[in-house]
Amino acid sequence: MYTKKRLVLPFLLPGLIGILLFYVVPFFGGIWYSMTDGSFENAFVGFQNYSNVWQNPMFQLGLKNTMELSLICAPGLFLLSFALSVLLNRIRPAGTFFRSSVLLPYLMPSSAVLIIWLLWFDFGGPVNRLVTLFGGGRVLWLQGMELRYPVILLFLWKNLGFCVVIFLAALQAIPDALYEYATLEGASFTRQAFSITLPLIVPSAFLVFILCWVNAFRIFKEVYFIGGAYPDEPLYTLQNYMNNMYGKLNYQNVTTAAYSFALIVFALFGVLFYLQNRAQQGLS
Amino acid sequence: MRKQRGVRFRLIQGFLGVLAVLMLLPMLQTFLYSFSSISEMKSYMGTRGSFDESRWMDPHLIPNMFSLGQYHQILITDNTVLRLFVNSAMYAAMILAGQAIIIPAMAFGLSRFHFPGRNAAFFGIILLMLLPFQVTMVPNVLTLRSLGLTDTIWAVVLPMWFAPFYIFLIRQFMVGLPNELIEAAEMDGAGTFSVYLRVILPVCRPILGAAAALSFAESWNLVEQPLTYLTTRGDLQPLSTMFNQLVKEKTGFEFAGAALYILPALFVYLFFQEDILSGLQLTELK
Repeated sequence: MYTKKRLVLPFLLPGLIGILLFYVVPFFGGIWYSMTDGSFENAFVGFQNYSNVWQNPMFQLGLKNTMELSLICAPGLFLLSFALSVLLNRIRPAGTFFRSSVLLPYLMPSSAVLIIWLLWFDFGGPVNRLVTLFGGGRVLWLQGMELRYPVILLFLWKNLGFCVVIFLAALQAIPDALYEYATLEGASFTRQAFSITLPLIVPSAFLVFILCWVNAFRIFKEVYFIGGAYPDEPLYTLQNYMNNMYGKLNYQNVTTAAYSFALIVFALFGVLFYLQNRAQQGLS
Repeated sequence: MRKQRGVRFRLIQGFLGVLAVLMLLPMLQTFLYSFSSISEMKSYMGTRGSFDESRWMDPHLIPNMFSLGQYHQILITDNTVLRLFVNSAMYAAMILAGQAIIIPAMAFGLSRFHFPGRNAAFFGIILLMLLPFQVTMVPNVLTLRSLGLTDTIWAVVLPMWFAPFYIFLIRQFMVGLPNELIEAAEMDGAGTFSVYLRVILPVCRPILGAAAALSFAESWNLVEQPLTYLTTRGDLQPLSTMFNQLVKEKTGFEFAGAALYILPALFVYLFFQEDILSGLQLTELK
């Protein structure tokens, strides 16, 4: 560990300047922006914009959809990747093919995969063939409420591998000896899972959970590819609202909506950080 | 814990195998379809979007006849896709080049030095990492405009050079490195810079490779940034924002386009695969 302070500057300075310029200054500048009226004088209006935007039905719709989609996507992604990595950990070292194939989608450009998705979920496509095979009626996957399923599946398909890899690294770092000892002592599989596996992977699991949420809030990309700038109502996310407001040069509304969203995001993560601290203290 | 490879083991293996094939299917199908002739794909894609209960799309698995027609179209006859492809490649290259200089150095500064405000800076980076892009979108446009950068490639490239997520990723790895590593190098008379270049960077190879691959994936899939920073410059748009346009037009060569689009990501993945699998180890926040 170095303590000579001036030596750190050449390493930090270029990055810090950029972060200040492109992240920090815009962040604080935006707060000011969301409290002015956007006219020529740019008068200060306090929280006027906020109460306007919060009463806007499209903003409410976007917020509701974003929250609903994230509430499905983030926990779903988390649980699914945890289950998969536990399974994968049990068959190691045979799982290399699976590990590679599950991670590959994370690097694939979503728009290139989109064509296949549109084919699969077509009214006369393979997914509906499967549905009728199991006795169901054909579903209009590409419109209305049902459009959420392809979007969520695309999201899961793309992000699953990343979470599995992090989980797997954490699981593999647990020494086998711990389990052997526990088995000798007569601990059951579930007991082992709760007393050994869980406490040891809490830090990694927490980070995966956070990343699941960060990615879930970015589901706009998938929505945009499948539904365009004005998708059907069940898919109209907050980001659609912000992008469309931006297109109309209504910058005040964009920033106001953005900070309302940021507030929710930070509140959520604050609660999560707090819970994780509590959980770790409780476990150790 | 050596387990007998019983029925259960085979079951898990079978289940994961099927899932793995399903995960790879979209790419496989894209490559297979890209070797169909344009007319074949046009008529096949034409059967999409029919709401007739009595009709199905053909269970089309492999091309009826092997053809390089689609590739001939996008590589030689019509250069729309190729031009967008070159744009995408340019963004990815410029973003990665800048990140390679700035991000590991910043992570090194944040992980191996003691200075006042270090924890605050790290905490700030975590907060920025969590922010959705749209939160700072408008002020960022204003910053870029006052620098005269909107509607230039720099508007997309510059902010990405300082992407907080990769700083976080690499810093987490560097924090875990043993002190002896640095001390031993210093005993041999190495200065800070040569420790960084000759000791730290080589040791961090897995995480640097992983970060490079992930960052490439992000740069190859840019959507929000070009849409907001390059509103008047259609000629500077990358493949990622224009590709679905191509699909909507039902050109018949969309699969060769998709294959061409996927290919670099595939190569990057194969090249950095080991690094990603061994480097992505996120442990607790320290």
